[in-house]
Amino acid sequence: MSSDREQVRSLDDLQIMVQTPGTIYDAIPPLTPRTEREAEFYQLEDGEMFLNLGPQHPSTHGVLRVVMKIDGERIVDIDPVLGYLHRGVEKICEHGDWHHAISNTDPLEYAASMFSESLPVLAAERLLDLEVPRRADYIRVLAWELNRISSHALFIGWLALDLGGITPILYGFGERDEIVEMLAALTGQKLLFNYMRIGGVNGDLNHEFLSRLGDWMGRAGARINDQATLMNENEIFVNRTKGLGVIDREMALRLSMSGPPLRATGVPYDVRRAHPYSVYPELEFDVPTRSDGDSYARYLLHIDEIKQSIRIIDQVLHEMPDGPVMAKLPRLLRIPPARAFAALESPRGQYAAYAVSDGSDQPFRFRIHDPSFFNLQAVGPLSKGQVLADIMAIMASLDPIMGGIDK
Amino acid sequence: MLAQLDDRLGDRLVVPAEPMGDTIELVVRTADLTAVMRTLRDDGDLRFELLADICGVDTGMTMQVVYHLWSPLSADWVRVIADGLSRDDPRVPSITQLWPGAEWGEREAYDMFGIEFEGNRDLRRIYMPPDYLAFPLRKDFAMPDDASRGPGEGIRNMETPVAPADVREQPVIRTSAGAGAVLGADGRLLSVAAGVVADDALESGEQPA
Repeated sequence: MSSDREQVRSLDDLQIMVQTPGTIYDAIPPLTPRTEREAEFYQLEDGEMFLNLGPQHPSTHGVLRVVMKIDGERIVDIDPVLGYLHRGVEKICEHGDWHHAISNTDPLEYAASMFSESLPVLAAERLLDLEVPRRADYIRVLAWELNRISSHALFIGWLALDLGGITPILYGFGERDEIVEMLAALTGQKLLFNYMRIGGVNGDLNHEFLSRLGDWMGRAGARINDQATLMNENEIFVNRTKGLGVIDREMALRLSMSGPPLRATGVPYDVRRAHPYSVYPELEFDVPTRSDGDSYARYLLHIDEIKQSIRIIDQVLHEMPDGPVMAKLPRLLRIPPARAFAALESPRGQYAAYAVSDGSDQPFRFRIHDPSFFNLQAVGPLSKGQVLADIMAIMASLDPIMGGIDK
Repeated sequence: MLAQLDDRLGDRLVVPAEPMGDTIELVVRTADLTAVMRTLRDDGDLRFELLADICGVDTGMTMQVVYHLWSPLSADWVRVIADGLSRDDPRVPSITQLWPGAEWGEREAYDMFGIEFEGNRDLRRIYMPPDYLAFPLRKDFAMPDDASRGPGEGIRNMETPVAPADVREQPVIRTSAGAGAVLGADGRLLSVAAGVVADDALESGEQPA
């Protein structure tokens, strides 16, 4: 990209002068290929053609563009193009203090923001070696697991929707609605909760939250079974997901995957058990795994995880101690120079942060590891040789959230 | 695990392996990186087979690439820091031969820091547009809007152009001057100098030129 290239009128807007006249929808970039792989991808063999998917396509679950090289119905290769939602969250976090980072990371995982907003909190607590009041820890686990269930319920509905089934998403949203109302009673917000604080949580449990929770808990198990039966016994759904997008154990590890896609291949990697945080070591729950590694195994794993989350919530409600919900901390938080790696298990996998502090009240470096980013990378190897319609089932079964991928 | 790491990698580490909480930190030179990562992944007693994270870090003086690994045999993470990359021309061998999943992580570090991963077949920008020239997460990249700066630093018009290239050659020092302030060797403000309203100007009610 030489900057002395002649300026021409943009095809998108004739008022604008640009260096390259092409639009973002050009399948073949009007530039010389920058890398070996790009040159290889944009070289068409006999009978092949390019097809553009996105950036605004409902089945890409956000603003993702995928350039596909196809031969008839079969996918030869794909090239995902990211960055449409890029905000530079890591840079923004370096320019606000540690408390600002909570609301800045909040919108990353917008379907389960209780997890992404916990990242700076866990990182700062690890840097400070801070003890959180036990009641706050229990409330956190309660909020995380409720949010996990609402996210998983939505995933199941969405997977069916991408395969053409309308009904399950109505059940999924029904489930999510109840939990969102519950969390709104707790936090005051429905989507971006902004509830976690360094040293605790923002506010104790209240009457409306607990009554909604009790109401929901009585029916939760039965409703999950309802939703599972609706899909497990649907022949079209099973035929279109079983044996599709198979990934084996070695490959999943090499691709740095985590969360349900990794556990569906038989690797029992769950941060809640592998690197325990909060009060998870004291709670009884299993880490469900499957061995098939296909879209159907990933779907079944989500059902198993919802059941484990209900089990955790049950224990938390029985063992919830009394006490304060915030540790005593100075308002201006200066963290001594140190570095720490903090991780937690989000509905999509290992959400991690590598935080470096230089002694000021702002993070010196705040790296955010998003599981969707690394899981989405597997779409390339998984979709080779599949038919075009199945790429939706593969992509939906990896459950990417573009807010976190693009950061 | 610490003893085994020292035994297998002892002579390749710049400083002895150091436990920090639930992480063991290893610092290596870029020349040894591939060999160290291969040993960590393939040795039967170590088995750090999952790449938990890969990221770049700009310390202001040098560039680093930081890897985190997970093993089913160890209760701790391993953090491998490839230290001492020059800020003018940061280069490091790619580990995509060992973990194909590192490809996008390396692309991101290239996009944000300009670190060249030698051997990565697809090293192009992943977030920023292809004709973008700067590297946003470098410490000498000044954010050109008010939102990035503390309220005590005055007002700056968002349209005022700030060219990161102007300050790229200068050493970066974090001071009490505030977020994103880049000071030159003589202590003069560099990155927030363009169009900043000084405190005394604000008090006297003058408008910036």
